[in-house]
Amino acid sequence: MNNFIIKQAIIIDPNSKYHLQRKDIQIHQGVIEIIADTIAPDSLQAEIIEGKDLHVSPGWMDLRVNLSDPGFEYKETLESGAQAAIHGGFTAVACMGTTAPALHSKSQIEYIINKSKHLPIHIFPVGTVTVNAQGNDLAELYDMALSGAIAFSDYRNALANPDLLQRALQYSSGFDKIIIQLPSDKKIAGSGSMNEGIVSTKLGLKGIPNLAEELMLQRDLMIAAHHRTSIHIGGISTAGSVELIKAAKKAGVKVTCDVHVVNLALTDEALMDFDTNYKIMPPLRTEKDKKALIEGLKDGTIDVICSDHSPEDTESKVKEFDTAAFGMIGLETFYGILNKAIGKELSVDQIIEKIAINPRKIFDIPIPTVNLNQKAELTLFCPSETWTYSTENGFSKSKNSPFNKVKLTGKAVRTILAK
Amino acid sequence: MSALSVKHLLGIKEMNTQDIELIFKTADTFKEVINRPIKKTPSLRDITIANLFFENSTRTKLSFELAEKRLSADILSFAASSSSVSKGETLIDTVNNIIAMKVDMVVMRHPYAGAAKFLSKHIDATIVNAGDGAHEHPTQALLDTFSIREKLGDLKGCKVAIIGDILHSRVALSNIFCLQKVGAEVTVCGPPTLIPKYIHELGVKVETNLIKTLEWCDVANMLRIQLERQDIKYFPSIREYVMLYGLNKEILDKLRKQIIIMHPGPINRGVEITSDVADSSQSLILQQVENGVAIRMAVLYLLATHLKN
Repeated sequence: MNNFIIKQAIIIDPNSKYHLQRKDIQIHQGVIEIIADTIAPDSLQAEIIEGKDLHVSPGWMDLRVNLSDPGFEYKETLESGAQAAIHGGFTAVACMGTTAPALHSKSQIEYIINKSKHLPIHIFPVGTVTVNAQGNDLAELYDMALSGAIAFSDYRNALANPDLLQRALQYSSGFDKIIIQLPSDKKIAGSGSMNEGIVSTKLGLKGIPNLAEELMLQRDLMIAAHHRTSIHIGGISTAGSVELIKAAKKAGVKVTCDVHVVNLALTDEALMDFDTNYKIMPPLRTEKDKKALIEGLKDGTIDVICSDHSPEDTESKVKEFDTAAFGMIGLETFYGILNKAIGKELSVDQIIEKIAINPRKIFDIPIPTVNLNQKAELTLFCPSETWTYSTENGFSKSKNSPFNKVKLTGKAVRTILAK
Repeated sequence: MSALSVKHLLGIKEMNTQDIELIFKTADTFKEVINRPIKKTPSLRDITIANLFFENSTRTKLSFELAEKRLSADILSFAASSSSVSKGETLIDTVNNIIAMKVDMVVMRHPYAGAAKFLSKHIDATIVNAGDGAHEHPTQALLDTFSIREKLGDLKGCKVAIIGDILHSRVALSNIFCLQKVGAEVTVCGPPTLIPKYIHELGVKVETNLIKTLEWCDVANMLRIQLERQDIKYFPSIREYVMLYGLNKEILDKLRKQIIIMHPGPINRGVEITSDVADSSQSLILQQVENGVAIRMAVLYLLATHLKN
């Protein structure tokens, strides 16, 4: 069924001439055929989609998702992850390469591409920069790029060796691919399991200081500036990082960056009860950091918001805090949490830019638009709809969310993707 | 007030001043009881207590066992080295075993912060935290504060210094919470590498000079240097630690006032304090041990009241 009529939806798409207008949209065989004030139901037998406060935008893209496939299929698979993503409003996700085996060669990239061909979503693999993401030897980046890798990242094992990073940046720039670093200096972070601050002090837990992130970020920016290469910084979490990136952008460094949505919504106070679902990387920081991140989104320092969906099984999460795995699932709750955190701070079109336009712009992926004769790749959402999330009825294979049974405002109603 | 506001003793953080006073008053009574010829009371008859020690402990474990026996509880004790926790049974399995054994109370020491809280969320029994990682050691703080109260009376405005490895110390953290709740002032002192960066936000003074700290305080609680807890070196050698933070009789005698010396034990004689300081009349160390039993009796007794209700 590829025929739809979307009734009275506000179009949010800066690349559309219908931007901010309330319209009916008719999609025929996956192509946007009519956009008009009203469209009468016709002989197409189109499915009618309507709702109060309905908005439509280019399909959202989540730049940081762990699909745990191959290797950890008990946590997530491409299929279950795809369902979770669709129910979170995404038509595209970029999956991390730190699987087992890692996505570090052509065959692993092709595995993702081939296996996701028939899924109702685009899955873009991010290859690892180094073999097995171990930070020693460069993986065959060009070969992976040819097979469909959109970027490269060792994810939570950010390249610690500055020489290796400079070579990776230089080499990948030769074929216009970008390295994503999630900065955290392992020596400074040590065995820390949450933000270092008054809360970690009260809890007797080892902290990860801001310094761990900012030290590596500073270094990475200097390396990128030195070689005039692009770099994308993933998951910044501190006020200091916002300042560093702002200054680098001003100085002309080709840097883009993203933030994980929970870092906009919560602070380390959430950990007072030792709930391991809040144990994430980068960690939840302080109110001051949270505010600075939101300011960074507003002034354009931060380009993208993503979920960092990290499925973990019960055995990895229901245990002592120190030994529990980092990460929480976040695809399905993404928009509800985002709306709660910044719904009043950013306009809807600013938000759409950060979750639909910029992720594709940075990695040179075609940007879908809500225009006539375009293949439909749309997200329909309702900023004012209130709903209750439950892990039990969720689509992810894993349940590691602190938002179980939490009431959220803002819901991605559905996606339409004509591949 | 005759009941605690908390169902478990997970930390001092969760308790209020009335709870602490109630524990002290109850401990006063038990201290009198354990000095009688017949030291046993039937208060906890038919109550089963499991002592789970996932980390080495001699005195805390003995102190709890003695307190439980004096109260006529049925007890079972389990000790495992921390290494067997990391490679073997998970805490959730322990939890399930405890449920199967139908115990009423669990006294647990564990190498990881939050372990007692974890237990309280997953089982029905009453939990007493006997030390969880670098988080809390509430009964130690209670017995330390109780011992100061016994010696000095009112604790309001009393100046207590906690000296040594603050970073890895659950004793320091629980003591800070407890002393502040009863109105005492606290200074922490030690090498800057062993003082948590944000500890001043708890409202304590931070000092790195031992002599200045001793001049300021009425009570000096000398913490044990736990080399086994440090995954990297925070100071170059024990010798240098002693040069900067070791307390000897000479230093003590030079002070303009007589201060009280405490130590949670076991002492590294010649490191934190020399033998002549440990054994001096200013030392409260053995009273701390004796009071430990009375405090633990009080805690178990008061929590069991909840149980019976």
